[in-house]
Amino acid sequence: MKIALAGNPNSGKTTLFNALTGKTEYVGNWAGVTVEMKVAAIKNKYQIVDEPIDIVDLPGAYSISPFTGEEAITSDFVLEAKPDVIINIVDGANISRSLFFTTQLLELGIPVVVALNKADIITKRGDVVNGHELEKALGCKVVTITATTENGLKELVKTASSSVGAKQEPLNFIDLDGNNDVARQTWINTILEKSLNKKHNASRVNLSDRIDMVVAHKWFGLPIFFLIMWGVYAFSIEGLGGFLSGYLNDVVFGEVIPDALNGFFEGVGVNPLMQALIVDGAVGGVGAVIGFLPLIMVLFFCLSLLEDSGYMSRVAVIMDRYFKKIGLSGKSIIPMIVGSGCAIPGVMATRTIENENEKRMTTILTPFVPCGAKLPIIALFSVVFFPNTSWVGPSIYIIAIGVIIISGLLLKKLFVWDNTSFFIMELPEYKMPSIKNAIIQMFDKAKGFIYKATTIILVMNTLVWFMQAFNWKLQATEIQSESILASVGSVIAPLLIPLGFVGWQLAAASITGFIAKENVVATFAVLFAMASEEALHVPGGALSQMFTPVTAYAFLAFNLFTPPCFAAIGAMNAEMDSKKWFFRGLAFQLSVGYILALLITHIGTLVIYGETAVGFVPAIFVLLAYAVGVTFLIKRANHSKTTLVATE
Amino acid sequence: MSLNKAKIGQTFTIVKIEGHEKIRKFLFTLGCFEGENITIISKLAGNYIVNIKDSRYAIDEAMAKSIRLAA
Repeated sequence: MKIALAGNPNSGKTTLFNALTGKTEYVGNWAGVTVEMKVAAIKNKYQIVDEPIDIVDLPGAYSISPFTGEEAITSDFVLEAKPDVIINIVDGANISRSLFFTTQLLELGIPVVVALNKADIITKRGDVVNGHELEKALGCKVVTITATTENGLKELVKTASSSVGAKQEPLNFIDLDGNNDVARQTWINTILEKSLNKKHNASRVNLSDRIDMVVAHKWFGLPIFFLIMWGVYAFSIEGLGGFLSGYLNDVVFGEVIPDALNGFFEGVGVNPLMQALIVDGAVGGVGAVIGFLPLIMVLFFCLSLLEDSGYMSRVAVIMDRYFKKIGLSGKSIIPMIVGSGCAIPGVMATRTIENENEKRMTTILTPFVPCGAKLPIIALFSVVFFPNTSWVGPSIYIIAIGVIIISGLLLKKLFVWDNTSFFIMELPEYKMPSIKNAIIQMFDKAKGFIYKATTIILVMNTLVWFMQAFNWKLQATEIQSESILASVGSVIAPLLIPLGFVGWQLAAASITGFIAKENVVATFAVLFAMASEEALHVPGGALSQMFTPVTAYAFLAFNLFTPPCFAAIGAMNAEMDSKKWFFRGLAFQLSVGYILALLITHIGTLVIYGETAVGFVPAIFVLLAYAVGVTFLIKRANHSKTTLVATE
Repeated sequence: MSLNKAKIGQTFTIVKIEGHEKIRKFLFTLGCFEGENITIISKLAGNYIVNIKDSRYAIDEAMAKSIRLAA
């Protein structure tokens, strides 16, 4: 039996889905959290009939006829996939709006059960809903529930499963002037007069409005936003998360585990090469990444609290007027904040943006926000090259903001965009974020992180270890520069010369970074475990032979601002839905990271050391070629813009 | 009178929604159409905060201009 959950955005569908299935899907207090259809088997607790039940969570929609990309999926699914029964979640906080979608669902010929959600809010407001009147008017069952506390869910599942096979009669609207939709709204108003006794007056200024007047204030809004985000990152990266990660890296994976393993293997008398593979390749590489687990857990915990509170929609309101100037929508900020945890859900969240151009640009720009997987790289470089300073992390976020603004302006000039943008954002009432939900989300992310570290990263590391320990004749080699990895890295390495990066190791680390960004750190861990006695995560550690602080910072920027990992690139491809734009986006990201690193290396070296860095002359040529290319593209875009105006 | 000219804190009846069909259709599903009430709660960061039925929305200047109210 297949039960579909359908309802308005932010009506509590995903909360209900998680409660029914025991899953830990992403929830948040803003419209458009669910962008993908999700299917799962119901929990044993609610499996009250013999036939196995599957629950399908659909993205939220205000109506059957699509408005944004995300809504198209809902109507397509409901119309084509034909579930056995639809549970229509009606938002108790806005019954009249929800019923518009209900009247449309009733016409699909699939039995509908209305779940009147947020019963707690209805009671708190003092409103009284007459369920029987509503059932009579709609011609379907109505069950009152509170998804957050799992109240009434058994009753809901029972009603839904007994409705399977029942014939659903559509409502008949008296169609006066050929406008069916107006008839729907009038009909809803009439039946609500009978079934809803409203004590609460929504149009009066409430506490949420008063909070909004401060947090979305013309002048205070932006500083408050920066302060909150700074607080989140400071707590995650420097505070609790950083402290725990530091302990894991330095003590647990730096000393305790390798020492224990080495002792064990030496005792047993294992082949030293085998011992090196396990200790340096597998444990060293994966450990270098797993060490950052606490940091990432704390970050996701904080982001989850923030999203659950309802603040995200307000940030969109604050940012709208600034983002419009660079061709984005205020809604573009939500993918970017989500992307500061992980770029994949970030890129997927662009689906809530109605305007195609704004959506494409947000898809290109979101991966510039440093994600959780990039934090290990930032932390490593910060500790090795800039010990006892705290500006490296924040400076990366400031550069990210700068890169996004400049890239937005540049993209606007490079390509021809149409301009029919508008902005509307629902502002849900604030609520106390659920600690339980944040903990669930945190462990869910931790699980994903450990999974990634023990699969992709482990495999990559073993491969990297193998490639640096053997030569093409598959003989173990003591000299790293004769290894397979060195010869592969050397092919790419010349491309990095204009950036002032010399050495096949750097090329190799950057390439592995595309598979997962943590790999950059893991690859260094493997490479230097063999080549150097010095530990990786200490000031002046093994890495310092490869870089000056300036080129180290440039290398950091290069890895953060070139295209994201393959998984996120895949998400970009899916959201762009156009090969042309996908490749344009990738090329753009690549050029941004490359040019940024180039500028940091050469300007930085000139200013700080008063000399030219390695690769200065090639860099000049690259910059010239880039400038010519960009000018050509802008000219071409201007030309098409004028012809576009002329044809109009 | 269009919404961007209306007084903050007051409830008005909508006379007409102008502009792009996509916008009109979307506003309609929210319950924002001819004959319905709309309350202007505040103006924040260049956007108008309005109440339609039982929910709050932020709309930008362009959208506010396309909503005509009874004076």
